[in-house]
Amino acid sequence: MSRSRGTSAVVRPSSCLNRGKNMSNAHWKFAVAAALALLPASIAVAQEAGGLDPLSALCVNSQSNASICLSATLPAATSQTLQNWMSPDVGAAWRAGYKGQGVTITIVDDFSSTSKFSGNFGIGTQTQRHGEWTREEASMIAPLATIRSKDFSTSSSVALAPGLNVLNLSYGMYAKAGYSPSQIGWSAEEASIISYATKGTAVVSKAAGNDAVAVGGVTSGQQDYLDLALVGKASAIFVGALNSNGTTSNKASMAWYSNTAGSNTAVQSHFLVVGVTGDKTGLYGTSFAAPIISGYAAIVGSKFTKATPTQITNQLLNTARTDTLANYSASVYGKGEASLSRALAPLSIK
Amino acid sequence: MREKSSNRASLCTTALLLAALCSASPAIAQEMTTLLVDIHQGSPLSDQARALGDGGFELQNGSRVSFNKWYHANWVDMHVDLLTQITQDTGILWGFGTGEEGEKYRIAPSLKLGFLTQLHPSANSILSLSFTTTFGGKLSEKPCQADYGDLGSFSVNCRLAAGEMAPEETLKYLVNAKPESQHLWLNYRVTF
Repeated sequence: MSRSRGTSAVVRPSSCLNRGKNMSNAHWKFAVAAALALLPASIAVAQEAGGLDPLSALCVNSQSNASICLSATLPAATSQTLQNWMSPDVGAAWRAGYKGQGVTITIVDDFSSTSKFSGNFGIGTQTQRHGEWTREEASMIAPLATIRSKDFSTSSSVALAPGLNVLNLSYGMYAKAGYSPSQIGWSAEEASIISYATKGTAVVSKAAGNDAVAVGGVTSGQQDYLDLALVGKASAIFVGALNSNGTTSNKASMAWYSNTAGSNTAVQSHFLVVGVTGDKTGLYGTSFAAPIISGYAAIVGSKFTKATPTQITNQLLNTARTDTLANYSASVYGKGEASLSRALAPLSIK
Repeated sequence: MREKSSNRASLCTTALLLAALCSASPAIAQEMTTLLVDIHQGSPLSDQARALGDGGFELQNGSRVSFNKWYHANWVDMHVDLLTQITQDTGILWGFGTGEEGEKYRIAPSLKLGFLTQLHPSANSILSLSFTTTFGGKLSEKPCQADYGDLGSFSVNCRLAAGEMAPEETLKYLVNAKPESQHLWLNYRVTF
């Protein structure tokens, strides 16, 4: 397996921040890991060179090819304020005081490229890398979770921390369409992620993609094989983007760019949607949907401290709402809009 | 709640009149008379239990659970206070509370015991001292059994079942309150 660290390739006209790396098997197929963010062209070109992200630099490769990441928690002052882009559920959740403590969210993303873009999560306009954005978002939803950064260009396997682990994947692995996931020679990084999702040893929150097709669908002759590899896995969740946080009186619709659940019931049953209010943050794309679910998983995990990743996954999936969505259909919205308050509530009580 | 408070007020007025009568009538003391000093329904613990019934939450299916039904009692804790005079200027204060019970709490029955004594510093003044202590009457909140689906079933604090706190942690916040156990009362009255 070879790796082309730092190679850039434009996979989708609507995507930026692409990191190239090889996926190989006996046939040496080539794929590109693409961060799933959508940016206005004016912002996308405003990329600037910069040093490695200091937090991701805490990850080093061991001889066993597993990365070791030291814990890095973002400054509390910037991450414990309820923002207007968050669902009201988050504020209700915080009021009881549990904010993801005891749970580790590992952000597998771009922390080393020169690509940066601007946005504002309510704490002032910032210009930073894709991974820095997704990390910041997850840490704002679950401010007491331990946040780890894993640069996806390292390709080493993702190490799990003690306790409940949540992996945030706001990127895809694109290659020419037509192969089955079993034909792909995954790097240690993706192989470990797929293994965790299969065995249910970590909640895997995967951005659904921004091609406005069904998960695993073909666009311009390419497919996201990471999506395909995670279909039917016990603790994987595909996350699509809504254009707002839905309510029963003001229902949300799918964002125009978001991939949908499609007709595959195995995808539908592991597909959630959340509001990505780019009109408030300047940040669009399912890249910014997945960290919300990562944060929710951490908060649910901080309540149910003995729950397995698969149980947390199922809790989020089984408590999703459909009454807050316009023209709900499983083929579009999957299980529905994630509801943190319902995921924390009992099914019955007596 | 307001209704019970007004009951307390009116009955307390009656009790004060009885107490005044008691202190003004030496003959009663000589006959070891027992007088009704106070009778009322409700107490600070009753009020506290009722306050627990404020609020509610939604279950996973969106149906509303109101706390009110859990913290409602058909019978409100009734307290009866009596005074048995043993001399002209001393008496035993005693009484009881019936307690009350709702679906998710209980106020245990209580017993009150104490004494009352009075001095006459001058012909037109009375200095009274009373002390009472209460046994029982503790407010205990009961847990609920909450089913979280895939995550299992837990014994929880009913009111915190939908919060972020771990189910087992919520049990630490069950209310266990004792009534005012001792009461010392000093009164100086001048008639002019």
